[in-house]
Amino acid sequence: MFYVPKKAIYKAVSRRKFLELGGGGIASLGVGSLVVGLSTVITRRSVQAASSDDAKWRQYEGSKLVFMSENTPPSFAIRDKIKDFYDLTGIEIEIITDGLPSVQQKVGIDLQSGNSDFPISYVQDKPIGAPFADYYADLTPMIGDDTLPQDPEGYGDGVWFENFLDACGRFYDRDRLIALPYDAAVACTFYRQDIYEENSKDFEAEYGYRMEFNEDSTWKTVYDFAEFLKRKRDGGADVPYGYAQHQGSFAWTTQLDVQRMFFAHGRWLDWEIDDKLGSKSPPPSNWGDEQSVLLMQKFKEQADVSHPDNLANGTLELNTVYQSGSIAMQVQYHEFAASIEDETTSKAAGGRTAYAPCPKGEPSWITNGGPSVNGTNCGVGGVGINGNASEDVKRAAYIFCVYATTGKLQYDVLTGLGGTPTRKSVMDMPGVAEARQRPSDMPNALTFDAVYDIGIKDPNFVLGPKVPEANEYHNILAAETQRCLSEETTPEEACNSIKSQIDNLH
Amino acid sequence: MTIGSEKNIHPALSDQDWGYATISQTPTSVNPNPKKWFYFYLAAPAIILLAAITIYPFFWLIYMSFHKVGFGAVSDVFVGLKNFSRLFSDAKFIAGWGLLLKYSAICLTIQVLVGVALAVVLNNSRYEKPLITMFLMPMMVSPVVAGLLFYYLYNGTFGWYHWIFQSLGILGETSILGNSSTALYGIILVDVWQWTPLITLITLAGLKRVPQDQLEANMVDGAGSISNFFHISLPNIYPFLLIAILLRFMDNFRFIDAILVLTGGGPGNSTRLLPVYLFDVSFQFFKLGRGAAIAISLLIVTIILGMILVRVLEDPARKSTLAGDSDS
Amino acid sequence: MASRELISYDTGATVKILKWVSPVFLGAYLIWALLPLFIMLMASFKDLLDAFTLPKPGQWGDVGVFFDFSPTITHYIALFAENNFGTYLFNSLVASVGSAMIAVTLGSMCAYSLSRTEFRGKKDLLFWIISTRMAPIVAVIVPLYAIFRSADLVGTLPGLILAFTTFNLPFAIWMLKGFFDGVPYAIEEAAQVDGNNRFQAFLMILPLVAPGIGAFVILCILFAWNDFLFATIIGSGGAKTLPAATKELVQPQNIDWGKIMAAGVVTTAPMIPLGLLVRRYLVAGLTMGAVKE
Repeated sequence: MFYVPKKAIYKAVSRRKFLELGGGGIASLGVGSLVVGLSTVITRRSVQAASSDDAKWRQYEGSKLVFMSENTPPSFAIRDKIKDFYDLTGIEIEIITDGLPSVQQKVGIDLQSGNSDFPISYVQDKPIGAPFADYYADLTPMIGDDTLPQDPEGYGDGVWFENFLDACGRFYDRDRLIALPYDAAVACTFYRQDIYEENSKDFEAEYGYRMEFNEDSTWKTVYDFAEFLKRKRDGGADVPYGYAQHQGSFAWTTQLDVQRMFFAHGRWLDWEIDDKLGSKSPPPSNWGDEQSVLLMQKFKEQADVSHPDNLANGTLELNTVYQSGSIAMQVQYHEFAASIEDETTSKAAGGRTAYAPCPKGEPSWITNGGPSVNGTNCGVGGVGINGNASEDVKRAAYIFCVYATTGKLQYDVLTGLGGTPTRKSVMDMPGVAEARQRPSDMPNALTFDAVYDIGIKDPNFVLGPKVPEANEYHNILAAETQRCLSEETTPEEACNSIKSQIDNLH
Repeated sequence: MTIGSEKNIHPALSDQDWGYATISQTPTSVNPNPKKWFYFYLAAPAIILLAAITIYPFFWLIYMSFHKVGFGAVSDVFVGLKNFSRLFSDAKFIAGWGLLLKYSAICLTIQVLVGVALAVVLNNSRYEKPLITMFLMPMMVSPVVAGLLFYYLYNGTFGWYHWIFQSLGILGETSILGNSSTALYGIILVDVWQWTPLITLITLAGLKRVPQDQLEANMVDGAGSISNFFHISLPNIYPFLLIAILLRFMDNFRFIDAILVLTGGGPGNSTRLLPVYLFDVSFQFFKLGRGAAIAISLLIVTIILGMILVRVLEDPARKSTLAGDSDS
Repeated sequence: MASRELISYDTGATVKILKWVSPVFLGAYLIWALLPLFIMLMASFKDLLDAFTLPKPGQWGDVGVFFDFSPTITHYIALFAENNFGTYLFNSLVASVGSAMIAVTLGSMCAYSLSRTEFRGKKDLLFWIISTRMAPIVAVIVPLYAIFRSADLVGTLPGLILAFTTFNLPFAIWMLKGFFDGVPYAIEEAAQVDGNNRFQAFLMILPLVAPGIGAFVILCILFAWNDFLFATIIGSGGAKTLPAATKELVQPQNIDWGKIMAAGVVTTAPMIPLGLLVRRYLVAGLTMGAVKE
């Protein structure tokens, strides 16, 4: 049994104190001397508003900061540029990259425990922003500070694509801004033009409309295409499956997968809250209402005509399935276009794939009286500053945030590794407009029409619930949807189960 | 006097033979007349280090389990037993225990059946040494690498194991992890792959100790080798198996690396064993109080299992079997 | 040893069947045990499209496509050139060897003392030691993280060494106590009569338990090397180890399986010979000394 002394000292000391005691004990055992890990160093030279730009950039020369980021292309790209940043500012940035769940854990612990091991971190809108928003520094004062270097374009809502600043920067409070948009993944439809063309004749004979996809196509057409191809395949024809969902083990994108379709139908939302700002105390949810039960049933029917490995494919695996030519359509994030257009890994490359906005709601499936829209959601990653950091660290970190979100840098990433710009000005930079048409040397740009011109604009855009318990909400939603798809529960039971669980969250 | 260089100074110290650890003591090794301070100083660094890294977290865990844990400026709120009482209405907690037991039961059944069978066959084989050496290799693989490897093998699009399952007609196009009724078996296979050889090794150790005279006596009575196995060998290796089972069972509480990689608990909640759920609650949802309550329930069961294990080790009859005393 | 000759005593039909079935069973198990490792090794030399090539289901005749590729070592090169696997290899090495050394050094002192003295509560102390080894890591890692954090040990090699020591030290104490129990006190007594002090006497019996100590150093290295949870939560950042880095190759936008398999080979390859080296102690080590071979 664990040894428990009768008079435990923990009663007499606070938890923090208790910790420090334990930590001190360990450190004093003589292992502290080798520490080479995370460290922030700050050195400052004072500047005035009237100082030169160069002086403003260089005011923290000799400092060192840690940036905790997700292991995505923009992070790798920025790592390549870190030398330029050092030459410009004299600030050394150590970039630590990790998978999203690990970033979530580490940033969460760091922010919540009052530390600032990671003065700068990646703020993925719902998984990181929603639970930890209060612990990030408000950027507004620094944006207005003329002793700091600033982006000439500024940071107003208008310089970013629609809704991006709201998505990753504002949580629960319109007056606080905690992050600047740094990369974005927006959903759109990827489909195999070649396969649709081959089968169009047969399809039209049966269903009475053409097998093609555009911004007016609905979730019903997605079902029809998938059902048609599956039937043909079951009859022995050499055609791929028509569709597959994001139902693998990544709860967040599973939730987004459900949400896109639900929102398309009458702009249905989980909670009656401001979708862009979120709420810390949401009212009882809409789950279990007539609309949600009907849509869950349709979602299940969709799953039944999807690729049989539907429940094993998370977002990433789904993309592999599409690359391998096993499905003819996927709703996928636009950052994946680069991998689809890569001839060495993808059977869907070389002009076989076309891109369109997310499907529209099917009017006959709408029971709540709302409009039918191209429900489109996204993950916008921002760069934010740890609120626990000292004033100088925050200012130095801000200099990095400004640099990391410039249009120039985003353009470099787009032309290099294949980035996903957040600033509108990137669209006007050389070659970008041309790249939106084939042949394109920036494959992600092929999606820009669907994504930036239609998907992310209102009324199509949906962010999904920003609530403090977002991660548990994602988890519940994913698990219950998967249970429904595997016929453990009926659609109605699934919706009610989601309701009873998420109504208890807050 | 140079003791190190003198071989076989005592019959107990031949190269082959060495002690086995239990709580009670071989009397000859005790200093009959100890000056305790010397021993205390020698033991202190390890005990202090161990205490610092285990007792603190343990108290903390208990503290957290009675609180809604706040962070930063938000202070902790004492909630009494609420974290615990909530568990009883938490379907995932209850299902998590159920799955942990089911998972362990199936894993251990397969491992014992296959492991013992392998040991019996190997025990009579000319190739025992090279074969067991190769069988052991999966045990050396880091569980997270094993998880990733099987994730690759199971993949419905390019996985060779999926292809084999499909070609054998065991599975259709849906991969083993893509169906909530088969996913559990997917993670079980990984554990079976890694840990069956341990059971084989332990059983082999046991089989080598089965008293020859008993076997011969049984033969004289006209029994065959099958009867010998069930009537003589099996009862003799039973204590070895019991220990192996207890240890593997406790390891199932500890190691979820492969499951986190393979399914993360899904599809649905079909592979959300309790430790996986605990990981979610503490590290994804940051509900440290609730997590602590779940952790304590796991700890209690671990401690009970540990006590049973020690009881088995201490049982004088079994102890002599385990130590191989009956050989002599 | 003893029971090997027995099967020849009887000649029943079952034995004949067993004679046929046994090799088949052993062969099948051999394939089952080694196939995943073999596929991992091969896949690490394949480029992505080759690694994704499968025959149609049921076409057993086409299994040959598995071998139909031109081997490439680009994945291994990329791991070390682009993904800093050299550093991770170094971290793994330092953290696992460091923790094994600390565990076995402190552990042997402690085990020796526990072996030589009797005192009230000793049983409880020993049970506490072993229970710290069996406690589910997930259960205690949150407070452990907080403690390590407040001592500035998160993301550092010393921190990771200490984290690995939480499971290696109780293991070492428990195992080595069994060794010292087997060494009669009379030996030290004799040494002391010869004019050595007690500490010298302790050092003198160490060679007697040296094979055991060596084996448990290696087992501790094995446990630490393969650990994942501590490595990601306490170590990641400044002290990423091979298993943690391998897991991280699963990136949101692409899973480069060739690289992951190569990383798997790099992580596994050193441990297989090490593990086999201490094969004789493996059973004891993995059963907490309950069973010895």
